[in-house]
Amino acid sequence: MATTLEARRPGSRLKWRNTMLGWSFILPNFLGFAVLTLVPVIALFYIAFTNWNAFGTADWVGLANFQRMVGDKSFLVALSNTVYYTVFHIPLTLGLSLALALLLNRKMRGVAFFRTAAFFPYVTSIVAIAVVWNMLFSPESGPINQFLTMVGVSNPPGWTTSADWSMPAVILVGTWREMGYYMLLFLAGLQTIPPELYEAARVDGASAWQRFRNITVPCLRPTTFFITVMLTIGSFKVFDLILVMTNGGPGQSTLVLSQYIYTKGFVENQLGYASSVSIVLFLICISITVVQFLVNKRSEA
Amino acid sequence: MAITTAVRPIPEIGSPLPRRRPRSTKKTVGRVLGYVALGLAAAGVLLPFFWMVMSSLKTNNAVFSVPIQWIPETFVWSNYVDIWQKSDMSTWLKNTMVLSLAVTALQLLTGSFAAYGFSKVRFPGRDVLFLVYVGTIAVPWQAYMIPQFILMSKLHLSNTLWSIVALQAFGAFGVFLMKQFYETVPEELSEAARIDGLSEYGIYRRIILPLSVPALASLTLLTFVNTWNDYLGPLIYLRDPNLWTIQLGLKSFVSQYNAEYALIMTGSVLSVLPIAIIFMVGQRYFVEGIATSGLKG
Amino acid sequence: MKRSIVTGLGIAAALSLALAGCSSDADAESAPETTPSGPVTVTLAGWSLATTPEFQTLADAFHAANPDITVEAKEYDATNYDTQMTADLAAGTAPDIYVQKNLKNFFTYQNGAQLMDLSDVADTLDKSLSGLDAYEVEGATYAIPYRQDSWYLYYNRDLFDAAGMEYPDGSWTWDDYATNADEMTAALAAAGSPALGTYQHTWQSPVQGFALAQTPDADLLSGDFSYLAPYYESRIALQDSGAQASYGTATTNSLTYQAQFGTQKAAMMPMGSWYVATLIAQQASGDSETFNWGIAPAPQLDSSTVKNPVTFGDPTGLGINPAIDDDKAAAAKAFLAYVGSEDAALALAKIGITPAYASDVVTEAYFGLKGVPTDDLSRFAFSTHDTKPENPVSKYTTGIQNILNDAHSIIMSGSSTVEDALAEAESRAENEVLNQ
Repeated sequence: MATTLEARRPGSRLKWRNTMLGWSFILPNFLGFAVLTLVPVIALFYIAFTNWNAFGTADWVGLANFQRMVGDKSFLVALSNTVYYTVFHIPLTLGLSLALALLLNRKMRGVAFFRTAAFFPYVTSIVAIAVVWNMLFSPESGPINQFLTMVGVSNPPGWTTSADWSMPAVILVGTWREMGYYMLLFLAGLQTIPPELYEAARVDGASAWQRFRNITVPCLRPTTFFITVMLTIGSFKVFDLILVMTNGGPGQSTLVLSQYIYTKGFVENQLGYASSVSIVLFLICISITVVQFLVNKRSEA
Repeated sequence: MAITTAVRPIPEIGSPLPRRRPRSTKKTVGRVLGYVALGLAAAGVLLPFFWMVMSSLKTNNAVFSVPIQWIPETFVWSNYVDIWQKSDMSTWLKNTMVLSLAVTALQLLTGSFAAYGFSKVRFPGRDVLFLVYVGTIAVPWQAYMIPQFILMSKLHLSNTLWSIVALQAFGAFGVFLMKQFYETVPEELSEAARIDGLSEYGIYRRIILPLSVPALASLTLLTFVNTWNDYLGPLIYLRDPNLWTIQLGLKSFVSQYNAEYALIMTGSVLSVLPIAIIFMVGQRYFVEGIATSGLKG
Repeated sequence: MKRSIVTGLGIAAALSLALAGCSSDADAESAPETTPSGPVTVTLAGWSLATTPEFQTLADAFHAANPDITVEAKEYDATNYDTQMTADLAAGTAPDIYVQKNLKNFFTYQNGAQLMDLSDVADTLDKSLSGLDAYEVEGATYAIPYRQDSWYLYYNRDLFDAAGMEYPDGSWTWDDYATNADEMTAALAAAGSPALGTYQHTWQSPVQGFALAQTPDADLLSGDFSYLAPYYESRIALQDSGAQASYGTATTNSLTYQAQFGTQKAAMMPMGSWYVATLIAQQASGDSETFNWGIAPAPQLDSSTVKNPVTFGDPTGLGINPAIDDDKAAAAKAFLAYVGSEDAALALAKIGITPAYASDVVTEAYFGLKGVPTDDLSRFAFSTHDTKPENPVSKYTTGIQNILNDAHSIIMSGSSTVEDALAEAESRAENEVLNQ
């Protein structure tokens, strides 16, 4: 971050003035945010220590929910599946969306069409997406396996009907669906890079890779930070895609934390336990975000 | 890997206005090949949409079959007439449009305003407050939706369109997005304006906002699309069929014993069209953004 | 830094308290003044009202007999009914009367004190009302059933004729069913038809529901699931022999049972009684092809039960929200007493629904419906059966069923053997549900 008001003109009256000024900007949004999001979220933190079942009163049970989690095999399965999804989904989506953005950030014929096409998976009904991809993945009659057999794969995977391959299949579709979304954000980020920087680098004889390394990457840093944080949280919270693609199956092979929370909370009405699982999910996300935040701050300085 | 391979053949990465250079045959061939590759990729990406369009022209029981039927045996064009008669599509579209516009407008206004406070004014507690904002994104909504629903019911907002506006308009997403983009705006610009006697509000209005057009454009698009396609929010908050949104309405074609899949697809195609148009029109801001804003001066 | 956060939270909390305070005042003021004797309107939760006529049918028929009481149906989502209802009950915005859509969730509502004691209503009803005992907890009744679905074997007469095979005769065991499905598939192929012998939908019910109902001493809550093994072995065999679409094909192609049977892709299909009305409606609308069909009793474990075939199905009942205004409770109870009566059963049978109240008159009304197959075996299947609940009412039912659903997908997809999957389900039931 560049110079700020405080650093420029120190003084405690100024500090007060800045606080008022800062809050005057934040307040319109904060009012709505505090009442409608923050208060329920704080309630959730309380509920996590109770046995609330959505009705009536909630009895305080202390850490019982968290103790139960440690011995809950399904929770551990959901946690490790979520990590599995995240570890592959983040780099894949980040790389592909940046590549798409770089490719489509130019004046060329039909660029509007290609950008729209790349964004379309995000807009298309998720039901249609699940249906089509499941059919493409169909183990016996699906085009993907027919193609694999044709090129000589003797025993093609069962994809969404196989406990081993269902997660890769879901990761593939998740990446395909979201790359256009993050491409859009990268495109907006690329607009903020002054073209003069590239001109100057070109005059200095920098190669395309050098220009990418030394101009595009550093200038995109705030955007990349935003995208990485959103992508991390989004991957840890993956829900609707899994629900329509595999519903967690076969068995528990694609069961993820969000779905586990939903099942415990709304199918089995154990909202206290569901809330405590959400807190674990929250803690994982927030600690990664804080690390990203600190790394971002350091590279800023 | 993906980055390097994608980047090497394109010398003008990141540059919105590549210089015109004399074309060689090699370049033309490369260009044609590039278009073919892009065309194939686009076709692959649009496949589910194609299936959706084709299924919207089938009978309900022909939508799912083994093997996949890409082209309907008989085209049931009447689905596009029936959907207006069998359903309240016009009400759903109207509600969804009203909600999407209201939410997008509020999110843009309050989000971009708050982001200025987070990005350009330094005051005690700012970073922690910002982390609280980002932190709430990390809490799964399905975990706190019941407490939130109880709160909204106490405020007499549930089962009104206001509930969805309240739910979506003040999200942390817009604040975060805008803050990140403001940080790319060089501080020298605001500095110069301050010396010229512009207040912070003036700087926000005259300097920062015009410079963040691409970010505002993407926030507009993403907020609009998210509100337009939201299902779980309306599902929890809206009961009265007069208030249904397009996604909620379409799902009502699946009743317990019977499922009108062809009509769902018909409705889905119709519901994607407005977004496609908005995107086609809006995407040009990603090329023009800063080029027209006079940053050079 | 810390202080401003705390201040912020304080402001938010104070604000929300103030708002909540305002709203509870408003609640008190806006409570409607009703006189006990005048016309009363009670609200009733239903789903997909435009395509599910049963709620309006009951409301209209009751209003005709009791002009002072109006029952107003409120719209809910069919697939997410229980999620919406949970939210509404928690926030105090639920209607006066609501449906127990699944027996699985009844325990939650009852245990959460969200259902009024209806023992006085139950006392006035015929004790033979099917499913009434399912809603009884510790001697008190909490819901009144109005419909009782059961599973039958649907078969396509035209395809049986084309294959030159005998129709089901009501004496089939699961072995007979499997043999016929295999022979049927071969005969249809020989006759040049692409149809298969049978279709089993991807749900856990058509395997586990039958296994639980028909196996002597099978108990869902015992945590011993060995009773499921023979049923899975036989279904896996049918899928391997190609007599029915494989689970993988059915899930990846999102096959619907309506299309599989309705467009003659399969000659037989075990399915619930609700499909009768759907099939008739779809044949009329053109969504399904026109062909002759019939219903037969579900195949049995062995031939000892063919006289009174054992099948499964859960009742659907109505309960009263305890938050109902006192002056409306009597009206709501009157409606529920009507719902369990023969009059209501007649009204329901006329729109193709299997009522919980069974009698000859009701059977006649049902078979008087245009399109219902009227052969003797269909009549027998409709009127004679021992229907056991798929979801015995208990604290553990939902948790166990979720575990068994995982076992179902892993077995049917061939990702695990029957023994391994059931052993895994047993250990999970022990560690995650039965110890709670």
